Amino acid sequence: MAKDKHKTDPGRRKFLRNAALAGAATTLPTAAATAGQPNTTAPPAGAQEETVRGLSPPSVQQMAREAATPDQVEQLAGGSKSATATSFGSDFMIDVMKSLKLGYVFSNPGSSFLGLHESITVYGGNTTPEFITCMHEESAAAMANGYYKAALEPAAIMCHGTVGLQHAAMNLYNAWCDRVPLIAILGNTINATDRMGGTDWRHSAQDPVAMVRDFTKWDDQPMSLQAFAESMVRGWKIATTPPMEPVALAVDSTLQEMEVEDRASLTIPRFTPSQPPQGELGAVRETARLLVAADNPLIIVDRVARTPTGMRLLVELAELLNAPVIDLASRQNMPNTHYLNQTRQMGSLIREADVIVGLEVTDFWGQVNAVNRATMTSAPRVGKDVKLITIDVNNLYLKSNYQDFQRYAPVDLSISGDGEATLPALIDAVKQALKPGRKRAIAGRAERFRKMHAASYEESRQLAAYGWTHSPVSTARMCTELYAQIKDEDWALVSVGASERFISQWPHRLWAFDEHYRYLGVGAGGGVGYGLPAAVGAALANKALGRLSVNIQCDGDFMYANGALWTAAHHRIPLLTVMHNNRAYAQETMLVQGTANRRKRGVDKSKIGTVIQDPNIDYAKLAEGMGVWSAGPIEDPDELGPALAEAVRVVKSGYPALVDVVTQMR
Amino acid sequence: MKTRLFFVITVALMLAAGWASAQDATPSATRGQETYMRVGCYQCHGTNGQGNDAGPALTPKTLPAVAMAAFVRLNPGRMPVYPQEVLSDAEIADIVAFLQSVPPPPDADSIDLLRDLKQTD
Repeated sequence: MAKDKHKTDPGRRKFLRNAALAGAATTLPTAAATAGQPNTTAPPAGAQEETVRGLSPPSVQQMAREAATPDQVEQLAGGSKSATATSFGSDFMIDVMKSLKLGYVFSNPGSSFLGLHESITVYGGNTTPEFITCMHEESAAAMANGYYKAALEPAAIMCHGTVGLQHAAMNLYNAWCDRVPLIAILGNTINATDRMGGTDWRHSAQDPVAMVRDFTKWDDQPMSLQAFAESMVRGWKIATTPPMEPVALAVDSTLQEMEVEDRASLTIPRFTPSQPPQGELGAVRETARLLVAADNPLIIVDRVARTPTGMRLLVELAELLNAPVIDLASRQNMPNTHYLNQTRQMGSLIREADVIVGLEVTDFWGQVNAVNRATMTSAPRVGKDVKLITIDVNNLYLKSNYQDFQRYAPVDLSISGDGEATLPALIDAVKQALKPGRKRAIAGRAERFRKMHAASYEESRQLAAYGWTHSPVSTARMCTELYAQIKDEDWALVSVGASERFISQWPHRLWAFDEHYRYLGVGAGGGVGYGLPAAVGAALANKALGRLSVNIQCDGDFMYANGALWTAAHHRIPLLTVMHNNRAYAQETMLVQGTANRRKRGVDKSKIGTVIQDPNIDYAKLAEGMGVWSAGPIEDPDELGPALAEAVRVVKSGYPALVDVVTQMR
Repeated sequence: MKTRLFFVITVALMLAAGWASAQDATPSATRGQETYMRVGCYQCHGTNGQGNDAGPALTPKTLPAVAMAAFVRLNPGRMPVYPQEVLSDAEIADIVAFLQSVPPPPDADSIDLLRDLKQTD
């Protein structure tokens, strides 16, 4: 992408040269370093002659960039050594971001947001927000996603409204499917006469958000600084109101560059968080009545625990009812150490249930029905008389093009309300509905579930021994060796890529996920290229929170966005990445093979396009080349423990590390 | 229950069809391992039949060859069906021989890291 603007109009160049000299003469000698403070300075003399739609004339930086030599541009721009007393539109935008306590902007630099870039680093002091250098806009979007899920605070990405957004789109979609708020700030040059040459034209659009509007919740292209302030605060509020989703702001480059003549006339609206909606009380009471009366109640959760409070409330509800919980784990909802976490018994518990409550489950139909891809058939797996209840925000906000809302689920009671916000009322209603006799009956269920939980864990422990000494390394061995190195730390498994099934769910089968932050879910849209950058974003958040971040990284996903490793090295982001290097897009290998078998055409060619071999990729060398400590490829499982121990030591010292493990397919 | 009944009936039919007598070569574990890898069994069941989340362990309790063939040909589950054109009965017998040659897994308690994970309450 081009980083420079090109001058095309000789008359304008002459004017700019004169104005720049005048501006430089009046501004530079009196420049004061006032990073973080808004400035108010009159525009350069003579500049008023050229106004654009009532905006101020081109800034000193604009004029110098177009009329002066490169050295003069550097001097006028101020760099990190000085700042002009002039305040620019983008400076005010930084004030707005600071008012929201925006911590980070994940970005790859681009000419359509030069003003904002410079204001972040110079005017804003590169803090709140800090500019995090990304090597791909797709990585930037995933980092913002991972950051939110660890920090529970939104971050922003910043990119061209055209080519940058095209890159970022996939991981914006992952964030959309994951109900993750982030702010996408898109550089654009709206006024055609402000575009300095061909690249500016190629990097401008009438409606840049159009390409992602189907998977963003709200967007705007403000035409004044005051409008920017209100849209930024409004966007922040909309993004963080359940159902949380990304929003986008196209920010005009001319608006960024305009000089602010009267900073005092601009106001930043106060941000007040929007309280999430609670389910209707009568329906909540009916849910409680059905749950208390049920012999085999079942709770299915996916994204109900938005915060640690959500986890605590879910445990309280489950214990009141002694109801087993199936955790689909798009967030860490139910501690897997709790005896009522019966996720491994999902099939049998769904079949025996007489009341099933889905809390923030996107694909409820998919839980109460079984789908067979091989035969392309589906069938209910619940009893005829089961009562089905959903509590979620799925119906509060939808868009129709992308189909991530899943198949329509017929239910007996559908409650629109945020799951976590509704839990206190549901818990109160259950308490009121519980009579002493019923309490005794419900208490009697506990023993069965304690035994099931213990048996399930023991089964997993025994199964982990299978193939213990084999090479390639079993995913069970890899995960057990890894856990041995981190279990005494305050760890967080920040990413497993698109699905934990790719590693046979060994972490959730063997590790103790007893805190809300232990697990952050997956790349919800299934878009490959999420895992590593999302882990880097989460690790950035965890760095401040004192948590040890661990990423189990699929090799195919890694190769989409491995530049994220450089970001981790550059910004000193401590993250342990353990490569699940099965040298294949294993899921697709299996699916292509299944298709070939179904068509009776053999499996000999199923590896074409689905394996990552010949040559094998040396991930340790790749990491080393980006300044990341690394070890591997490790094929002997006995070499794994010492390598991981050293890697943990590196991470605890504040740096990223990568251990490449050659693994079984799953 | 339906799956089990289906399976039993299928095995009986195959036995009746003289499946066993059709095998004219002694099963070979070496050949079986090659076939196991070539036709992709390892993708869901691991390179030594140890199993994972995508497919169950095939060892140490390996189905007899005739039952394995019945399952591979006609299973109603999510596993891809392997028709005769893709995998012959003799090749299945070889695969079974390979799986039977895999040493049984150790007890978890004999492995330090897994013993450390044992729940005591």
